Amino acid sequence: MVETPITRREFVRTTAAAGAGLMLAGAPALAQNSSPNNRINIALIGFGAQGRVLLESLLKIDGVRLVAICDIWEYARTYGERYLKKEGIEVRAYENYEDLLEKEKDLQAAIVATPDFWHAPITNACLRAGLHVYCEKMMSNTIEGARSMVDAMKETGKLLQIGHQRRSNPRYLFALNRLLREAKICGRLTAANAQWNRAAADDLGWPKRAAMEPEQLKKYGYRDMHQFRNWRWFKDLGGGPLSDLGAHQIDIFNWWFGVLPRSVMASGGVDYYSNHEWYDNAMVIYEYPLPTGLVRAFYQVQTTTSAGGGYFEYFMGDEGSLKISENPNITAVYREARAPAWDEWVRRKYLRAKQGFSGETPTDAAKVDVRETAQLAAYEIPVFFNKAIHQPHLENFFKAIRGEAKLNCPADEAFASEYIIYKANEAIAARKAIDLNMEQVVAGL
Amino acid sequence: MRVETESRPVLKTTAMGREGSFAEGAWDGTLAFFVLRFWLGLRALLTGIEKYAGVKISEKPFIDPETGMEDPSGALIEVREKFYALTNYAAIPPSMQERFAEEPLLPAFLSVPFYACLGWVLILSGVMLLIGLGTRVSLVIQGLLYGALTVGLILIKEDAGIAWLGVHVALVALALMLAGHNRFAVLKKW
Repeated sequence: MVETPITRREFVRTTAAAGAGLMLAGAPALAQNSSPNNRINIALIGFGAQGRVLLESLLKIDGVRLVAICDIWEYARTYGERYLKKEGIEVRAYENYEDLLEKEKDLQAAIVATPDFWHAPITNACLRAGLHVYCEKMMSNTIEGARSMVDAMKETGKLLQIGHQRRSNPRYLFALNRLLREAKICGRLTAANAQWNRAAADDLGWPKRAAMEPEQLKKYGYRDMHQFRNWRWFKDLGGGPLSDLGAHQIDIFNWWFGVLPRSVMASGGVDYYSNHEWYDNAMVIYEYPLPTGLVRAFYQVQTTTSAGGGYFEYFMGDEGSLKISENPNITAVYREARAPAWDEWVRRKYLRAKQGFSGETPTDAAKVDVRETAQLAAYEIPVFFNKAIHQPHLENFFKAIRGEAKLNCPADEAFASEYIIYKANEAIAARKAIDLNMEQVVAGL
Repeated sequence: MRVETESRPVLKTTAMGREGSFAEGAWDGTLAFFVLRFWLGLRALLTGIEKYAGVKISEKPFIDPETGMEDPSGALIEVREKFYALTNYAAIPPSMQERFAEEPLLPAFLSVPFYACLGWVLILSGVMLLIGLGTRVSLVIQGLLYGALTVGLILIKEDAGIAWLGVHVALVALALMLAGHNRFAVLKKW
C-alpha cells in the first residue's frame, strides 16, 4: 500500500522553512510580476533540439509572448528567427544571455534549454535579473551547480520550475492519485523498474558551412564542433544517458513512492562507443524504505539496443502492477488473481478492461512450470490528454507566475530527485553501493 | 386488402406435413409463425439499420463520479456516442470487404451492386415482414440475401459465419413452410 502520511514536497518544505524561514519553494508568485495586461513576456535561451520542442508547446499557450531567443550558434538563431517569422512572431535574437538580460527590460520569465553545464550560470543570472525560470532537467552537470540554483531561487524569491514534465502530465497525475493512492490497486508495493532503451546511433553532425570558429567554441566551453553537437556524452558538459533519459524516470520513483532512497548500487560503462566519455549502458538499483517495507527499484538505460519494450516506469505490488509511460500505448495495468475485485474502479472509469484479454486462469496442464502463478488480468487507463507532453508542465509554470497554481516541480524538489542520479553515476565509477543520507541532503537545501 | 374472417385456423394439411400437428391448439401455428416472422423481420430491419451506424468520439474532462467535479489533473476521457447517418453506410466491415475483393469468384461487378443494396434491402424486407406486406416475397428475399452472404463466407473459409447464416436460412425456410398460418398482416397475398 502507498501510505504517504507526509509527501516529499511537504517534507522538503517543512525542512526548508524550519531552517531559515525562507520563502516556500513553489509558492505562487504575485500577479503583479506579469505585465499589465497579464501577458507574460518570455525569452527562450537555447534554441537546439529541446528548445524547439518546448517552443512548439509555448506557441500553443495563451497569454505568453516570446520576445527573444538566444543561442550561441548563429545557424540555430537564424533558423529560429525564420521559423518564428513564418509563425507571425517577431523576436530579437541574441548570441549571449548576458546581452539578452541587459537589453530586454520587459521580460517576466526565461525558458532555459541549453546544454546542462550552462543551466546553473544562466538560470542563476536570470533569477537575479528578476525573472522566473523554467529550466530543463538536469538542473546542472554537477551537484554544486544544482545546489546553487536552489540557493538562487530562495535568495531571489522567484519561481524556478525544473523540466521533469511528467509531474504535470494528466495521465501520470491521474494514475498516481486515483489508481495508486485512492484505489490502491497495487496493494503493498514490492518492486519497481523503469527503463529507456534506444538503438545505437551515429553522433550528431552539422553543416560544415555553419561550423563555429574555434575561438567562439572555446569561449563557450566546447573543445570543437563535435563536442558542441554531442555535449550529452561529455563529462564536463552533461550527465550521460542516466541524466538525459533516466532523470525523468528515476524522478517518478521518488515522486510516486513519496520517499527518497537510502542507497544506490549500479553498473555501467563506456562499452560500445569509442569517442564518448559517459556510460553508454547503465543498470541501477535503489532501495526505498517505504512505511510498508523496503522496495527495490531497478533502472536501466541502454543506448546500444532498443530491445526491451521501449520506455516506461513499472510499479509492482502484491495485488496489482501499473506500467506507465509517456507513450499511452505502452501503459498497462495488471491485476493479481488474489486481489479484491476491481469492478468499482471500472465502474468509476478509473480503469477499462483490455480488449481481447480472456482473463482466464491457465490450467495446470497449460503451465510450462508448475511454479507459475495465475495469469494477470489486463486493464487500460482510459484517460488521456490532447497536448504535447511538455505543454502541461509549461502551463503549470505560467499559472504559478500568475498566482493561480503551485509549481509541480520546484527546484528544491528536483534537486532531491537529481541528487540520486549524480550518485548513481558515482556508484558506477566506484563499483560499489553508496549509502544515501537524503534527510541530510534535503535539510541542507 | 382482404380481411381475414376466419376466427381460428383449421389445419388439415399443415406446413409441417403432419396432419393435425396443431389441431389441439389451432392458434399454435399462427403464433409460431407470428413469432418467427417477428424475429426474422426484426433481425433484418435492425441489421440493415446498423449498417448506417457510426460512433462519434468526443473528448471531455474526466468527471469524478462521486463529487461530479472535473479531475484536477486535467485528464480527458473519450465519450463514445453512437449515431446513425446515411454517410456512415458500410455494407460489411472493411476488413472483410478487402478479403472478398481478393476472391476471383466475387468480381466487382457483382459485389459492388450487392454492397450498395444490402442495407436498404434488409431494412425494406424487415419492415415488410414485420407489418405483413408480401410476407412470402420478403422471406424469399431474405433467404437469398443470407445465401449470397454465405457464398462469400465459404470462399474465405469463415466456417462459423457459414453456420450462423445457415441457421438464418433454416429459419427462413421454416417460416415459408409455416406461411399458411400468416395472420395480423397488412396483405396476406404474396
